[in-house]
Amino acid sequence: MATLTVAGTLALWNAAASDAPAAEAKDGPAAVQKRQPDSLELRAARTTADHGKFEALQQDFKSGPEVTKACLSCHTEAGKQLLKTKHWQWEWRNPENNQLLGKRHVINNFCTATASNEAFCAACHIGYGMKDKNFDFTNEENVDCLVCHDTTGDYKKLPGLAGHPAYQQMEYPPKSGRQVPGVDLQDIAQRVGVTTRASCGACHFLGGGGDAVKHGDLDTSLKNPKRYLDVHMDANGLNFSCGTCHATEGHNIPGSRYTPTGKDAVAHHIRGKVDSSNPTTCQSCHGLKPHSDDSIITAKLNEHTDKIACQTCHIPQFARGGKPTKMTWDWSTAGRLKDGKPFKLKDSAGHDSYATIKGSFTYEADVIPEYQWINGKVKYTLLGDPVNTDGVTEINHYFGSAEDGLSRIWPVKVFRGKQPYDLETKSLLVPHTAVAYGESDSSAFWTNFKWEAALKAGSDYVGRPFGGKFDFVATSMTWPITHMVAPKEDALSCTQCHSKSGRLQGVSGIYMPGRDSTGWLDAIGWLAALGTLIGVLGHGALRIYMARKAG
Amino acid sequence: MFKIIAAFVAGIAFTAVLAWNAMGGLMFNERVSPFGVEETVARIQHNIQDTGNGWVLSGLRNPASAVQATGGNTLPVMMVEACSTQYSKPILNEDAVRFLSILMPCKISVYKKNDGKTYIGTMNAGLMGKMFGPLVGDVMGQVATDQQKFLVMDPNKPAPPLIKPQPAASGGGGGGGGGGC
Repeated sequence: MATLTVAGTLALWNAAASDAPAAEAKDGPAAVQKRQPDSLELRAARTTADHGKFEALQQDFKSGPEVTKACLSCHTEAGKQLLKTKHWQWEWRNPENNQLLGKRHVINNFCTATASNEAFCAACHIGYGMKDKNFDFTNEENVDCLVCHDTTGDYKKLPGLAGHPAYQQMEYPPKSGRQVPGVDLQDIAQRVGVTTRASCGACHFLGGGGDAVKHGDLDTSLKNPKRYLDVHMDANGLNFSCGTCHATEGHNIPGSRYTPTGKDAVAHHIRGKVDSSNPTTCQSCHGLKPHSDDSIITAKLNEHTDKIACQTCHIPQFARGGKPTKMTWDWSTAGRLKDGKPFKLKDSAGHDSYATIKGSFTYEADVIPEYQWINGKVKYTLLGDPVNTDGVTEINHYFGSAEDGLSRIWPVKVFRGKQPYDLETKSLLVPHTAVAYGESDSSAFWTNFKWEAALKAGSDYVGRPFGGKFDFVATSMTWPITHMVAPKEDALSCTQCHSKSGRLQGVSGIYMPGRDSTGWLDAIGWLAALGTLIGVLGHGALRIYMARKAG
Repeated sequence: MFKIIAAFVAGIAFTAVLAWNAMGGLMFNERVSPFGVEETVARIQHNIQDTGNGWVLSGLRNPASAVQATGGNTLPVMMVEACSTQYSKPILNEDAVRFLSILMPCKISVYKKNDGKTYIGTMNAGLMGKMFGPLVGDVMGQVATDQQKFLVMDPNKPAPPLIKPQPAASGGGGGGGGGGC
């Protein structure tokens, strides 16, 4: 049982372990010859410091915090900077509506919530020791520098270890018989560098419990993507790292789904100019008229940019890198046993379609996005907020309309599921699912598969009432799509939107030639065409008749 | 008399234009699958294996990957290839119609379109066969009957696993083959 309980975590670990050499080997010798220096090599050539020569790092480190202490001995302000960030705090208050967001507070329809499951979820926190809600968010030495600045690919934080990596070889998952090697902290610390797609992706590619699960436009195929997958991150081309767009200052990384920019009116980010706008938008580099004015067609495209997000045309599908993304998750079926034991079922492609610990799923690759107006304002359904028991509860709602002047039409992934809610308070519930490595907890769902105990434990933990009556409610969560930008020749063609059954058939508020029509106007057009045909035929017939009559 | 001949010729021309326009739709069929691309492929593969009459899977091609290799994108396309020597042998043994080997192995295409739905594309084997005489017509008629069995999508059956092709032994293109023509 323990093996299955943390089987998902093994998938996480395995996904993180897949790396570039395997992908390169498939390309063959010709590809190797063409290969340009990768981002790591380029940056190594630009760096002014060889951390392997730093005296502070010539230690036999026994733990992560010891490494952090050494880092802070030179980077004296880095810890203070980190403590203010969303990545550290897992908390952010939305000034628009005063909602307290961040992973400490939101509830989603994937693994649902970090509360009561911190030791497990902290594998993706940039800190050490978050085993429960009493974690010290003010201690700089709890900051995990290596998880972002590792360049070796060997540094892996394992779910259940409260944000720590394995310091020594250990059996993982417990009782699985599989051995995970301990990390070589000294070696990793001496080879730190700037962040890379792989280091950011160690968490962001694996969100929701596995590779490609959550976002749809972020997965391990972006470690070394080819041009077709992303023109900016193309490993043999522009080779952007995440930080190229998410231009970071003082460890504060811009670009977040909590504060999206629906419509960027500022355009270019100019060096030296005081600018508080979002540097991650397409316009911040490409401007407000990104297409050339050489032809009528491209000039016309520029007239679309005030209403259509760049991503709408330039990301024709997401999950295009060969990694299907999870599209649905039904928690209501979780807990079923076969012969008294938990079990899994697979879909045709070999992905889990059912797991006792999590319920039922569906995956899809090359997903056609849904489209909606987004103006940058977002509201979450938080604990205590009412759910819609007659329909679908939106975990997050992105506002926007054709009329507000702030919105553009965006592609989105809509993730749909069912999750537990309280029949009395009519609000979402936090299930206590996971336990720390080596610990046992009879109330954890992944241990005994008892919903009532898990929901009681979760509710007690977050200080919410729970009378024991619960059911499952349909939920949806929206994810704006912004990565996996295709080459321009693969952007949507005009007729893919301007047609009756085109991509934007469900988007309201605008008149689109080809999609929309007016009955009486169409009737006039057809009558005019018919009249012309009758006129031509009649004229010709009269000519023939008159010619015969005259002759 | 002139009017009759002119009307006859005009009728032939009209029929020819109509036939020309309809030809594509007559020679090939397209239907929507209730499942995703991979599950549709897997169900077709298992149906083929269950049909008998000597049918074996001879390949699974992914033309979309070739497009990706050249830096471009296209929606998923997978081609299931199957063959039965019971049907291929009589055609391959007849010099007059041996050129029809170009239609072998039997292919079924599964693809996604921009509406997000999965489609199945097949050749209208029965109609095509009739164009090449009684031998081919008879064989292809039986192929068409079997083909209908390949396309049965029973939602009550659990999703079967995709059968991935074995690597090709040597030379030649990909796809690999477990057997076939």
